[in-house]
Amino acid sequence: MKLKYGSLAALALFASAAHAQSSVTLYGVLDSGLLYQSTNAASFAPNAKNLGHAWQLKDGGIYSSIWGLKGTEDIGGGYHINFKLQGSFTSNNGKPGLSDTPGATALFNQFATVGASGPFGTIDAGRQIVPMIYAMADTDVRNAQYFGSILTAWLGLNQAAGWPGTSTNAPIGALYDSNAIVYNSPKFYGASLALEYAPGGVAGQFQGGTRESAVLKYSNYGLNVAAVYYSGHDTNPFPATYPTTPAVPATGLNNNNLYYIGALYTISGFSVSGSFSSANSYNSSSHTSYNFEMASGGLGYQFNPSFKITSGYYYLKDRNHSQNHSSEFAVGAEYNLSKATKAYAQVGYVSNKGTMNQTIIYGAPVAPGVSTTAAMIGIRHTF
Amino acid sequence: MTKTRLAGVAIATLVAAASMTAWSQPQGAASVSAGAQAASAMAASGAAAPTGRQADRALRRKVYAAFGTDKSINAGDISVRAKNGAVTLTGTVTETSQISKVEEIAKGVPGVTSVTNKLSVKKSFGGM
Repeated sequence: MKLKYGSLAALALFASAAHAQSSVTLYGVLDSGLLYQSTNAASFAPNAKNLGHAWQLKDGGIYSSIWGLKGTEDIGGGYHINFKLQGSFTSNNGKPGLSDTPGATALFNQFATVGASGPFGTIDAGRQIVPMIYAMADTDVRNAQYFGSILTAWLGLNQAAGWPGTSTNAPIGALYDSNAIVYNSPKFYGASLALEYAPGGVAGQFQGGTRESAVLKYSNYGLNVAAVYYSGHDTNPFPATYPTTPAVPATGLNNNNLYYIGALYTISGFSVSGSFSSANSYNSSSHTSYNFEMASGGLGYQFNPSFKITSGYYYLKDRNHSQNHSSEFAVGAEYNLSKATKAYAQVGYVSNKGTMNQTIIYGAPVAPGVSTTAAMIGIRHTF
Repeated sequence: MTKTRLAGVAIATLVAAASMTAWSQPQGAASVSAGAQAASAMAASGAAAPTGRQADRALRRKVYAAFGTDKSINAGDISVRAKNGAVTLTGTVTETSQISKVEEIAKGVPGVTSVTNKLSVKKSFGGM
């Protein structure tokens, strides 16, 4: 009996070895630090009050804490089947990250994809971080990090467009999309293309809840250039009082358009970046139209492979109401203590005018029109 | 004020981009069409005195062109400096394994005598 199982096991082993070389990796990151912020608010509500300064243990000074599983199977002929399951969590209390429904978290809120790669490129289906935000990261010296970057600036536009910050279903572009099918082309002399289509799955409607985006990228000769178009139908359907007030039903309305163009140049340790973006949105629950622009500039210096300083300036403007605008400046130093551990220190200042409430760091809201300073030291460990 | 300055930076970047692609194309075209003549001229000058800023710039472009043929490397995040055949790489790659891969590609470019590798790894959104 024993022998039988043994030979079966041996057979299974051989079979898998002959067929495909598969691998599964468990991985993760813990990113935690001490944050001081001169003003704070309880939420992104338009009437949120300044509650004063605060010291806190803060998750995600560089990016969120995550854990995940990924795997790849070689099916021969240069083709692979890939999967990825990845969720974010808050390191200081262990809670899982946001999903696209307010009040509900998701175990794998960042990635739940299966797909294939080969000479044609890569295709992944499921919830995932969308190509748009990678393009922004590639053309921002601050690399779209969670503290003072193109990410917090772009989220500032979402907050100004009525996003309550309680779900990942944002009114202007997205960090994650559910139901997404993303195609990444192979590189052709540094140029590549990414296309996204997310069917909405709304019964009886072709366009209800869909997302479409395209990213054109160039990366060679020390230069990154990216152009982005993102369009969403029935985005941000949740009123601030959800679930007391129900979500706005999907009608197929295209209420979210974002255009972005950015460039980053690297030479001898220096990097310089700049971008411009234009976005519009319509909030179906408050019946308000929004029209914004965003501009950024960045400068960084890499002293050696383990130490760098990055800085960025981010400007937001409400085209419909000129009294609403926001400027943010952030500077950060990152030092790699080892291959797996990084220590960092960063400082930011935001000047908010009118109804703008651009934050310095993701997850620490400020009240509309209140200028704020924040400083953080932290550590980021990868396993 | 800041906006005009930003626009200035953006324009400068675009101009730099345009001039760079303009450079790289004629270089590629010349080596194909003008063929033997150009090659022998280059070989002659290369053998006699591979010095000067023009030779350094040409070598830098050749290293980038070699990176461009690789499907996995984003050479937009890599700075290449060349001086008399000595190449210095700074900037970032997306995978640890690419640090040595990039170095190997640079070493394989004719005219490169040594490579100083100062590359590090950068993963957007903690991507694994």
